[in-house]
Amino acid sequence: MPRFEVPDVDLSQYSMRQLAAPPLAVLVVALAIIGGWAATTGSPVTPGIEFTGGSELIAESDASQSEVRQAFETDPVSIRQVGTGGDQYLVTFQTEAVPDIRDDSDVTIDVVQSQSVTATFGSSTQELALYGVAGAFLGMSVLVFALFRTFVPSIAVVISAFSDIVVPVALMNVLGIKLSLGTVAALLMLIGYSVDSDILLNNHVLRRSGSFWESVERAMNTGVTMTVTSIAAMAVMTVVSYIFGIQLMTAIGVVLVMGLTTDLMNTYMLNVSLLRWYKFEGVNR
Amino acid sequence: MSWFRENWRVATLVVLLLGSSVALFAPGVGAGGGGGSGQQAEAASGPTNLNYGLELSGGVRLRATVTGVTADGVDVTQDNEAAIAEEVAAALDVDRGDVRARVAGDTVEVYQDVAPSDLEAALTDAGYEPDSVSVGVTSATRDNIVSIIESKVDATGLGGADVYDIQTQGGDRSHYVVVEVPGQNATQVQDLIRGRGEVELWAFHPGENGTQTNTTVLRGEELVEVDQPTRNQDGQPIVPVQLSDAAGERFASDMRQLGFTSQQGIGNCAFPNSGYCLLTVLDGDVVYDASMGPTLADDLQSGTFTNNPTFTITANSMEEARNLQVNLQAGALPAELVFQDSYYVSPSFADRYKPLTLVTGIAAALAVAGMVFLRYGEPKVAVPMVLTALSEVVILLGFAAVSGLALDLSHLAGFIAVIGTGVDDLVIIADEVMTEEVSSSRVFQSRFRKALWVIGAAAATTILAMSPLAVLSLGDLRGFALVTILGVLIGVIVTRPAYGDVLRRLLTDNR
Repeated sequence: MPRFEVPDVDLSQYSMRQLAAPPLAVLVVALAIIGGWAATTGSPVTPGIEFTGGSELIAESDASQSEVRQAFETDPVSIRQVGTGGDQYLVTFQTEAVPDIRDDSDVTIDVVQSQSVTATFGSSTQELALYGVAGAFLGMSVLVFALFRTFVPSIAVVISAFSDIVVPVALMNVLGIKLSLGTVAALLMLIGYSVDSDILLNNHVLRRSGSFWESVERAMNTGVTMTVTSIAAMAVMTVVSYIFGIQLMTAIGVVLVMGLTTDLMNTYMLNVSLLRWYKFEGVNR
Repeated sequence: MSWFRENWRVATLVVLLLGSSVALFAPGVGAGGGGGSGQQAEAASGPTNLNYGLELSGGVRLRATVTGVTADGVDVTQDNEAAIAEEVAAALDVDRGDVRARVAGDTVEVYQDVAPSDLEAALTDAGYEPDSVSVGVTSATRDNIVSIIESKVDATGLGGADVYDIQTQGGDRSHYVVVEVPGQNATQVQDLIRGRGEVELWAFHPGENGTQTNTTVLRGEELVEVDQPTRNQDGQPIVPVQLSDAAGERFASDMRQLGFTSQQGIGNCAFPNSGYCLLTVLDGDVVYDASMGPTLADDLQSGTFTNNPTFTITANSMEEARNLQVNLQAGALPAELVFQDSYYVSPSFADRYKPLTLVTGIAAALAVAGMVFLRYGEPKVAVPMVLTALSEVVILLGFAAVSGLALDLSHLAGFIAVIGTGVDDLVIIADEVMTEEVSSSRVFQSRFRKALWVIGAAAATTILAMSPLAVLSLGDLRGFALVTILGVLIGVIVTRPAYGDVLRRLLTDNR
C-alpha cells in the first residue's frame, strides 16, 4: 500500500535568506499585481455583481452559447458555461433588473436562477464585507498576540496569514475569478485554517522541550499532514462541484486550495525563518 | 461513576449522535412547518426532518427599501398634526397624502424621493425645528407596509410567504423590507408589490371651459367590501364592491353634479377624446374606461343607489381584475418600494442542489479518509478519525432539524469548513499521542492536554475570525459563519476530545 509520508526536508541546511526570500518574493509580486490592478481598474479585486450591482442568471437551453447571448433584450457583459452538462449558461448583465428574452428570439431558454442587485445595495454590501474581513483579521491578530505575548513569533503568524490572503487575491485577478460573497467566505476561512499550522509551529518551538530543528520537524510532520489533507479535500470539492455546476462551492474550493498551498510555503519557509532568527539571535539582544 | 468521569466525552458524543439521528429521521420531530422564522422554510418533506431555505427549495426573495424621508424630534401634537402635513406638502410640492406627521414619536415623514435638506428647510421655515432628518421611514410605516404586503400575498393565494423588516449596518438606507415567497417566479411577486397599488375611480367629463377634466370620485379606502372578481352580462371582468354609506352618498351626488346621470352622460364615452367616462385607475394609470350604464344612472338619480351602494369596477382581463381586487382588499402601500436585490431559483433547479451537494460532500470526505489512511496506515487511528469528523456534521444537521434552521448553500459551505477544521484538530491529536510509544494513561493525558492547547487556540482564532460575519447582515455569509462557529464549538468541546479518548483506549490497550 502506498503511503503518504511528510517528506524529510532538512531546513537547517538553508540559510535564513534562502528560506525567507521565496515567500517574501511571492508576497511582493502578489502585492504588485493587486496594486497594479487597483491602479488600472480602480479596485484591488474585480468585484462581482453582488458588490457592483447588476444582474446574473442561469439559462438552460439547447441552443449554442452565441444564440443564448443574442436572445436577451440587453447585451450581456459575459456568458459562460456552468457545469459540464453543456446546456447551462451563466449570463451576466450590467442592468439592475434581469432583462427579458427578446420577443423575436426563436431559441427556447428556461431561466432557472436569477439574481439582481442595485448599485446602492451592492456598495453597502461591499462596505460590510470589507469591515467583516478587516474585523476578522484584526481580531485574529489581537488573539495571536495575546496567546504568545512575544512580538516576533506573533507577528510571524500575522504576516503569514496576511500573505495567505493576499496571494490568493492576486491569483484571483490573474485567473479572472471575481470577488463574491462565496470567495469572501473562503478568504475568511483561510484566516482560520492558516493560523492552525502557524500556532502549531509556534507552540512546538516556543513551549516544548527539544532543540529548535527537532521541534520544527515535529511540527512539520503534523502541520503538513493537516494542510495537505485539507488541500486534497478542497481540490476534490472544487472539481466535483465544478462538474455539477455548484458555483458557490467551486469558488470557495479554488480560493482555499490556492490559500492553503500558499500557507505551506509561508509557514515552513517564512515563519520558520522568523522563529529561527528569534530563537538564535533575537532573544539574546 | 468513575467510568463516566473518564469517558464523559465519549458518552456525550454517543448521546448527541443518538439525539441527532432521532431529530433527523424520526417522523414528527423537529421544527418543520413551525411558525416564526421557520416560515420561509419549505415544510419538512422527504426522508429527513431538515428544513430547506429558498436556495435549496426554490422561490423568490426580494429586498426593497421604502422611498421616503423622515424628520425626528418635531413637536407634533393632535392639534398641529394636519397643519404640519399641509404646510410641508405645499412647501415640497408633493401630495398631501404623501406627508404623514405622527404624534407618537414626534416624526414627520414624506413618502417621496426628496432631499433630507429640503424637508429640513421646509419644517424650519414653517417654524418646527427637527432634531435630525434622514433618508428612510419610521418603523410604524414599515410595520404597516409589511402587513399590507402580507395581505396582498395572502389575497393572491401564494402560500408560505414570509415578509419581514431587517436592519443592516451599512449605507444610509439601512432598513430593508424582505419578501420571500416559495415556488414563485420573480416577476410575478415583483408585479404584486411594484407601485403602491392605489386603486381609484375617476370621472372623465367635459369641464367648464370645454376641455375634458378628470375628477376622483372613489378611492380604494372608501370601500367596505370587495368581492371575488367575476364577469358581467357582457362578459367583461368586474370586481363587485360595496361603498360605505357616506361614500355612496357622496359618489351619487358627484355623479349627478358632473352630469353623468343626464341624457348626454349615459352611454357616451369616447376616451381619451370626449364624453363621459368612468375610469379605473391603478397608481395613476388608466386601466379601463367605461361609459355610464342606464340602470346605474337611474339608481343614482332616484336615490336607490344610496340605499344599497354596490358598484362594479371594470377591467380588461380576468388577471387584471384579480390584481385590482388584491390591491383593493389589501389597501395601498403608504410609500413606494425600490427593489434593491432580488433572487430567484426555480424549484426543480434548486431541488437538484441537494443530492449534488451531498455527493460533493461525500467526495470531499472520501478524500480526507484517503489521505488519513495513506498517512497513518493504521485503521485504528484513521477509522475513528473519519467517523469523528462525520459525526460532527451529523450533530450539526440534528441541531438544524431541531431548531428549524432553513438550510441554504451557505450553511452547507459552513459544514465543509467544520470538517476542515475538524480534520486539522484530529491530526494534531493523533500525532501528539503517537509520537512515542504510549505506555500509560498518565503519559497520554499529559500529551493530550498539550494538544488541546493548540486546538483551543486555533478554535478561538477561527471563532474570532467568523464572529464579524455572524453579526454583520451579509445575508448568505451569516449562515455560513454561524454554522462554522457552532461546529467548531461542538468539535472542540465534545467530539475532538472524544476522539482522543477513543484513541487512548485503542493505543494503551486499556492501560
